[in-house]
Amino acid sequence: MQFDWTTFVLEVLNFLVLVWILKRFLYRPVLDVLDARQARVTDEMAQAEQAQQAGASLKQEYGERLAHWAQEREQMRQQLERELGQQRVAGMERIRQSLADEEAKARVRDAATTAAHEAELVRQAAGEAYANVAAMLKRLASPGLTASIAELLIEDLAALPPAQREALREAAAKVGAGGAADVAAAHPLDASTVQEIARSLSTAAGQTLKIAVVSDPALIAGVRIAVGECLLHANLADELAFFRRQDGEG
Amino acid sequence: MNGEALGGNVLFNLGPLAITDTVATTWAVMLLLGLTAVLLTHRLAVLPARRQTIAEGIVAVIERAIGEVLPAAAVRRVLPFVATLWLFILTANLAGLIPGVHAPTRDLSTTAALALLVFASTHWYGIRAKGLRGYLRHYAEPSPILLPFHVISELTRTLALAIRLFGNMMSLEMAALLVLLIAGFLVPVPLLMLHVIEAVVQAYIFGILALIYIAGAIEPEKPLDAGNSVAVPPAPAVANPNDKEKP
Repeated sequence: MQFDWTTFVLEVLNFLVLVWILKRFLYRPVLDVLDARQARVTDEMAQAEQAQQAGASLKQEYGERLAHWAQEREQMRQQLERELGQQRVAGMERIRQSLADEEAKARVRDAATTAAHEAELVRQAAGEAYANVAAMLKRLASPGLTASIAELLIEDLAALPPAQREALREAAAKVGAGGAADVAAAHPLDASTVQEIARSLSTAAGQTLKIAVVSDPALIAGVRIAVGECLLHANLADELAFFRRQDGEG
Repeated sequence: MNGEALGGNVLFNLGPLAITDTVATTWAVMLLLGLTAVLLTHRLAVLPARRQTIAEGIVAVIERAIGEVLPAAAVRRVLPFVATLWLFILTANLAGLIPGVHAPTRDLSTTAALALLVFASTHWYGIRAKGLRGYLRHYAEPSPILLPFHVISELTRTLALAIRLFGNMMSLEMAALLVLLIAGFLVPVPLLMLHVIEAVVQAYIFGILALIYIAGAIEPEKPLDAGNSVAVPPAPAVANPNDKEKP
């Protein structure tokens, strides 16, 4: 075992130099890089944490927004349900009103149809009644009845209302002086009756009128006088027709 | 076996200085470590390449080992000295595996120089941590009666450092030489494997003892009732980056 002071001193110096070399070229650069990486990792961690916090904040915000939207959606759904309910009630009311109107119209239509049908029945009944009356009157008709009606006509011509008298005179004026008046009779008339009718008619017409008598069995009984466009009815057929029209209009 | 075989052989004289093979091998080791450091730390980047990863691995492992013993604030201050102790002793021990080359650590001059540096660094870091008065006070604690024992302890442990490393490495090379002389080829191979293990173990022991001595020197003063309290292990100097990534 040998101890050499020179080697001892040189080894001390060598080691100190080696410490400096390694510190200069190994420890310090590597530790600086490690520190830089650690700082970078720390920064990235901080950034990641900030990003995470921002994400959490956004998530919370979106959650609140979604909840708000859900609340609004629920409110709108309730409002829509209310409106639908109101519209349903209004629609039902309209339908009900429409049905009532239709029902009323149907009732009116039914009533009108019934009334028309009844009127038709009445008309048919009246027609049948008048037909029966006409048939019965035809059996009762006779030249005497025609003569009696002619007498009534002569009386009525003498007492014509002014308006009818004026209309007769205007019609006779259109026919002209010496014009003819057609007299249709259900039965043959005797000459005196014809003359009395001509006299009364000329008096009523305000001028002399010739009488042309024709036979018309459809009149049943009585006469019908035509002076131009003016007709004088004095027979059962026209009376029945008059009453029948009056009944129909009534 | 004579004293010259256990010491260093003078290779040449540099002026008045006799340069032994121990010093020459130390220079070679320094050159190797320096070039390796330059090579590994060439073009460092935040995203490491393979070489940079090796350099960072070495430094980070050493830093973490120191951090398990020292307070975090003192790790970076002590790291260059302790890390250089580990790297130099390990490389120097392994240099003995090269045929014709003696490990510098089989020379008592080298181990004594290292022990002296540890002795000096212990006081240097202690005074820097506590101040001169505060550092000297701990020699008189807990009782001034213990002052001589503290001084003797300082000296003997420094001597033990030097002798332990020297004795182990010298005996290891001696045993390898004897086996090689007796058994010849291939038989010393297991012994060479033992040499590798021994080189690593001795480097670790020397460095960790130096670290413990330095830690004892810079350890803050404890209160009087500190003996009743549960000791809290010091926090690591550099936290594991993987731990920071955990939520």
